[in-house]
Amino acid sequence: MFKLFKKDLILFFHDQRSVILTFLLPVILISLFAFAYGGIGVFDGRSEPVNLLVADLDQTRSSKEIVYKIDSLEDMRIIFSDAIKSKELVIKGEYACALIIYKGFQDSLEVGNATLIELVYDRSREMEIGILQQNLISTLMSSTGEIIVKKSIEKYLQDQFPAIDKSTSDNILKTVIKKDNNKLAIKWTSIVGMKNDTKLGLIQAVAGTAILMLLFSVAGVGTSILEEKENGTINRLLYSPLKGSTILYGKMLFAFFISILQLTAMFLFAWLMFNMDLSVNIPALILMIIATAFAVSSLGIFLAAIAKTRQQAQNLSTIIILIMSAIGGSMIPLFIMPSILQKIALLSVNYWGIQGFYDVFWRTLPLESILPKILILMSIGIIMTLASIQLFKKRIIKFS
Amino acid sequence: MIKVRSISKSFGNIEAVKNVSFTIEKGEIFGILGPNGAGKSTIVNILNTLVKPDKGDVIIDGVNINDNGDTIKLIMGVVPQEIALYEELTAYENLMFWGGLYDIPKQELKANVNNTLEIVDLVSRKDDRIKTFSGGMKRRINIACSLLHNPKILVLDEPTVGVDPQNRNHIFEVIERLNNEGMTIIYTTHYMEEAERFCNTIAIIDVGRIIAQGTLKELREISDVKDLLTIKLADINNETITRITSENPLFRFDSTSNILKVECGNIGNDIPIIINHIQNSGGVIERIYTQGTSLESIYLKLTGKELRD
Repeated sequence: MFKLFKKDLILFFHDQRSVILTFLLPVILISLFAFAYGGIGVFDGRSEPVNLLVADLDQTRSSKEIVYKIDSLEDMRIIFSDAIKSKELVIKGEYACALIIYKGFQDSLEVGNATLIELVYDRSREMEIGILQQNLISTLMSSTGEIIVKKSIEKYLQDQFPAIDKSTSDNILKTVIKKDNNKLAIKWTSIVGMKNDTKLGLIQAVAGTAILMLLFSVAGVGTSILEEKENGTINRLLYSPLKGSTILYGKMLFAFFISILQLTAMFLFAWLMFNMDLSVNIPALILMIIATAFAVSSLGIFLAAIAKTRQQAQNLSTIIILIMSAIGGSMIPLFIMPSILQKIALLSVNYWGIQGFYDVFWRTLPLESILPKILILMSIGIIMTLASIQLFKKRIIKFS
Repeated sequence: MIKVRSISKSFGNIEAVKNVSFTIEKGEIFGILGPNGAGKSTIVNILNTLVKPDKGDVIIDGVNINDNGDTIKLIMGVVPQEIALYEELTAYENLMFWGGLYDIPKQELKANVNNTLEIVDLVSRKDDRIKTFSGGMKRRINIACSLLHNPKILVLDEPTVGVDPQNRNHIFEVIERLNNEGMTIIYTTHYMEEAERFCNTIAIIDVGRIIAQGTLKELREISDVKDLLTIKLADINNETITRITSENPLFRFDSTSNILKVECGNIGNDIPIIINHIQNSGGVIERIYTQGTSLESIYLKLTGKELRD
């Protein structure tokens, strides 16, 4: 029994892939998740500040006081804008929410009417909205509530006791005003995802999972180049009138075709099984599928091109795909990550793919607003393709 | 048909081929014999234009391979050392794919595929996946894939590695049939008996250099290797042995096995003389074995080492 155990132990440690998958990859992913959730690093358990767009149309003492109080909160970062642009930025997904203080806000407070304040937000970014609920609401309630009650009592005292002195009036106000008595009517308006019946979770599930699985299947296609090199069929292809570059382009075309097929099949499945509305923007959906397929298939070929053996390519693909999917939004929502990881996420295919599909299905943006993401995916594909061609010539076909 | 003039090729610091020259006539079977790593595959890859020689020229069918590599690929079929087939495809699908790379019209290709299947005697298995084939059958399909464009020259790079005797004979028959039909064949091997069986001309290669080439007869003359006569003697005393071996430096006696070995210039003429000499000297012969001059002995003589080293 011990001899069998010893033999398996030796075989295990000789198998680079097993060792990597057993030890190295979990360590990397644990570190990444811990980093993302704030468990390690310099974040002291705090999330990154939430960016809040503020459009102060009232520009009065009361509105400025509220904005000042919000700005002083550690978990909030104020970005000033106008009402229309703020809404646009939220719809495009660049910000989670915007606070709009309408003209007449102070007057409305003073007469005790409903406050003219609205928070427009993107429902898909629940985590950021949650932080808002904790901090923004209490601040707004205390500020506006105080103003409302103070103005009402002052008016009452002046009407009923015109001769009252200021210190007595202030004491009465201090005694009467308690924060928990305040009531604030902020209008919460979700302005994203309203034109489409598709549920947010379904979009995340389909887009995130589709890209993750696509990466694995395309990496398999890329690895098949090395398999063909090892079993001699690449050489045999080169004995024919085919050029080396033709062989590579043939593989790329196949990877691209399989990617399109797989993505299309996944969206059709989501449509048939979960009533995902694919008709929301068909041209944008087609272009996103093509661009994502091109970027992902090029990446799969690139991973094969940088590896020397099939085994090495499989190990490399597993590590890179899982890490890229983790930071790119397939596994962890991006907005809870530290800003450095959010910046690194921009390098991943997953990020641009998932965000693009969010634009199509959730934000229901017009094609011209989605084009930048499509172009980025295409650019990733072109860069990977060019790099693969060079590496392929150098490493896979070592003739002449 | 093929003229190779002073080609050399290095990979980094390794000189794979050093100043190699040979000529192959049309319809000839030319053997390249040498151990693994001797440079055989590099020569094959130079001939089929995949590797560009650092020095030297190769003219095939009047075409310089440096000037028109694509033409060379059309007149040459290469059977790689590996079984370079798609295991999940059937034999027919493999043949259609590999033949299709040469832009042969579909009907003509189908006819070529059927004809080739008949040549390698695998018509009955054409719709079976390659993964279900034995090693020898795979080797036969491996050869068939290189015949579909009707090449004038067929290069076989160690085509019988790992093949059982029955399939090996089948492969030999295919090669002989193709050669009889006029195809020029280049055959690399490290099996002496294969080179001896087919090759009109043999080039012996060692560490990238051709150390001898010619017909088997020419190689025998170059190497000055004799036929060997082995005689097992019955119990024999020292006096008799001395009588037999004295004044005969070509007689070597092993007293532990009672075996006498004699190198013969002409074994047919020498046998009766040697037998008479032994009997007249008082020796009693138990058995006699003869061994003609083999390529193995020539290789041993020329390189000082066994081919399978």
